Amino acid sequence: MSNKERVRDKIAEILGHTSQIVVDDVVLTDLVNSSFLLVELVIELQEEFDVRFQQVDMNEVATVGQLLDLVDSRMGENSPG
Amino acid sequence: MKIDESLHWILSFYRTSEISGALFFGELARSLRPSAIQQDMTRQFADEANHARYWTDCLAKLGVEPLKLPTAYQNQYLAAAGMPTNLMEILAITQVFEKRVVSQYTLHAKSPNVPDIVGETIETIMKDEKWHIEWIRDALKDMETEYGADNIKDTLKRFTLADREVYQKTTLEHQERIGDLRLARR
Repeated sequence: MSNKERVRDKIAEILGHTSQIVVDDVVLTDLVNSSFLLVELVIELQEEFDVRFQQVDMNEVATVGQLLDLVDSRMGENSPG
Repeated sequence: MKIDESLHWILSFYRTSEISGALFFGELARSLRPSAIQQDMTRQFADEANHARYWTDCLAKLGVEPLKLPTAYQNQYLAAAGMPTNLMEILAITQVFEKRVVSQYTLHAKSPNVPDIVGETIETIMKDEKWHIEWIRDALKDMETEYGADNIKDTLKRFTLADREVYQKTTLEHQERIGDLRLARR
């Protein structure tokens, strides 16, 4: 399973959706019903995949696909070698 | 004993805010790996839940049910300051918020004609609030190596500006209800 699919599954698990709903084009704010839940989602992804985001990173993120790209790129930075 | 409409609203506002804080910290504590921060956050989550209970009890002793209010004060923080996106930013916004809470409760305790039960409830809650500020201050200090002291300082400054904006907006919006508290500040 690719990193992106692992992240997608985790997002689905956190939000209580199926992975089929968490598709790339979906806008994140359409998936979560409160700002607090979005904060929790972002923090939990960082904890789970051992990556760090700054606010400026999230300014560029609106959709599931963009969030998957961000987490995937940070996981790549943490990989050995 | 019956209380006036403004006090009823303010105490219900405090209660709603404490419930929102408890839920937020509870979810975050569940997300974090076991650590000192997770332990302290779990304690804060429990404190906030208890504070909501104290306000519920206080309102009951004043002879009224809590009002169901639609939006918690904290939601406005996120809109004004932008979404915190890492643990340092979460603690920074919480630190600023906790200072605002202490300031507001202090103001309320000093305002005219505060019922004894309200003063006692504030006094009980304030003991916890001071600890909240302390543990977060220490945790932010420990994060300087990972996030950078200047970055943390800038983040606190950004959230402090947002806090002022939200507080001013809230006091204007609810001017009639919190008029007595503003008078107490003079």
